Amino acid sequence: MGDTTLPMRSMHSVSRSLDSGRFLALAAHLARERGADLLLSGPGYPGEKRSIVALDPLAELHIDADTTREQIKTFCFDTSGPNIVPGPTLGYLSYELGMRLRGVATTKPAPLPQGHLKQYAALLIHDAEGETCTITARDAGQARALAQLADTAPHAPAQARPSLPEPVSSLTQERYEQGVRRTLEHILDGQTYQLNLSIRFDQPAPDLDSLALFLDLYSRHPAPFYAWFTSGQQRILSTSPERFLKVTDGQVMSQPVKGTLAYDANLAYDPALEEILRSSPKEQAELSMIVDLIRNDISHHCEYGSVRVEGHQSIFRVDNLLQMYSNVRGELRPGSDCLDLLFDAFPGGSVTGCPKHRAMELIDRLEPHSRGVYCGSFVCIENKQTMDSSICIRTAVHDLDQGRLTFYAGSGIVVDSDPASEYLETMAKAAKFLRGGKR
Amino acid sequence: MHILLIDNNDSFTRNLEHLLATTSQAQIVVEPYARLADGSLALHADLLVLSPGPGRPTDYPAHARALDSGLPVLGICLGMQALNEHFGGTTRRLPGCIHGKTEKIELGGKTLEVARYHSLFCASLGPDLDLLAVNRDRVPMALRHRTRPLLGYQFHPESFLTQDGGYYVAYALHALGLA
Repeated sequence: MGDTTLPMRSMHSVSRSLDSGRFLALAAHLARERGADLLLSGPGYPGEKRSIVALDPLAELHIDADTTREQIKTFCFDTSGPNIVPGPTLGYLSYELGMRLRGVATTKPAPLPQGHLKQYAALLIHDAEGETCTITARDAGQARALAQLADTAPHAPAQARPSLPEPVSSLTQERYEQGVRRTLEHILDGQTYQLNLSIRFDQPAPDLDSLALFLDLYSRHPAPFYAWFTSGQQRILSTSPERFLKVTDGQVMSQPVKGTLAYDANLAYDPALEEILRSSPKEQAELSMIVDLIRNDISHHCEYGSVRVEGHQSIFRVDNLLQMYSNVRGELRPGSDCLDLLFDAFPGGSVTGCPKHRAMELIDRLEPHSRGVYCGSFVCIENKQTMDSSICIRTAVHDLDQGRLTFYAGSGIVVDSDPASEYLETMAKAAKFLRGGKR
Repeated sequence: MHILLIDNNDSFTRNLEHLLATTSQAQIVVEPYARLADGSLALHADLLVLSPGPGRPTDYPAHARALDSGLPVLGICLGMQALNEHFGGTTRRLPGCIHGKTEKIELGGKTLEVARYHSLFCASLGPDLDLLAVNRDRVPMALRHRTRPLLGYQFHPESFLTQDGGYYVAYALHALGLA
């Protein structure tokens, strides 16, 4: 995830040839034995091949309701001199931070924190295409030890997973469909054009090996923006296929995903399905609306005349779903950095709706639950001009204290939406976690 | 030329800002509707633009300040409906409700593909307003005031789905006596 320019001064860096299988085994080992955080990138958007293992946090920022934009910027960007770290800042920003940034009030209890960012003593960055792993650490001994570990490629033992009881849903089918019908009334009244309505699922899971679940999901349903992240007693399992914003030396790209078509993985893949998805007026309109919204959201901090749409209605396959997306590009304006861009565009438009502010107000009324990390973002921040980020859809939180797995799924409601179909789409997206990782 | 763009808390306002900036020589300032409503916004500009936005014109009573200012005004979507209601027209739910779809319309002798995002439409026109363009179902797509420099577009020239957004900026500047 992200193009990396490492500050090499006083850092120790070694490279190893490592295929994806051995890298994954190493990542699993470091996550289990050393508490490493993982960003894993499987197939999805063409060209996404970079995975990161990050261990031994040197500095952490817990974002709460009082943390300012400036404090977050200082944490991410002031990494020179005594604060020098070997690689990017990693972590997540929650949907509730987005509500605060957009000025959307809520009466729901806030799940804390609103975000958690870390800088690490050591990082392993794997390039799947070149099958190379670059190990960078503050300490030469640590870099050598990690390189040695990479050479022996340890195998993490597979863990048996308990069967989990049926989850409790925040909205039953009946209430979800009622929510869709209320959304349709708001759409007909001109309050919104599109609104993303989600369900939260809570499942008792005191004995769940959530790392094993995460790795098993990655091996069976790879996608470009998997993240495994430790935040206090919570383990975050994000299995997202969707990018939010990427900035590379000031070149901005967002890749909103809208339009979904489920297919039967047991049958031979029929490319004609792609044309069915592309030619659906409903799916076309859903994507176009979000493309216009994303154009708007990046335009706050992009140069006049630089914002453009490329590869409109591209398609990739993930989780037995065809997904349609577009590339929206621009150039960062002088005086604006990638966090200005991120803060003013957050949360991603594909998980709110349009217009964003009103859609978020309506979501807060329609959904009985808080979203937490769901519909927030994982971020990988290199410097003021370079970062990458996902949108945390298909994301679960395993709370070790409460022995509970919480996950979410949702669907974009537009005027042509059929309540029963939207419920089925939502359940299709939840299927990965609903099965509790069972095949 | 200075353009003051009033943002009705919409998610297309910055698209409109970029379109105006790249297709005219104007300096653009974007201000939230809240500042029009609380009276803190001074209306100093060569052109006021009322952005699209959620809801209906009656949710935005302060648009009257802009529409009565004597300055040229361009209203987009909600902005056009506000202009129409201010001069006696009515707004209703649009049968069929169109979002994120395109249609060819004829305006000023040119027929081009434009983007439509609207749940509501100008069901009847104010007595001093002239219809400039309609769609195939006779839904008003552009209108202007007979004697004042006030113009409205129901469609979205700032959308990437619109074939030539710059044409509609140039048309507006010309119609409002600014070019």
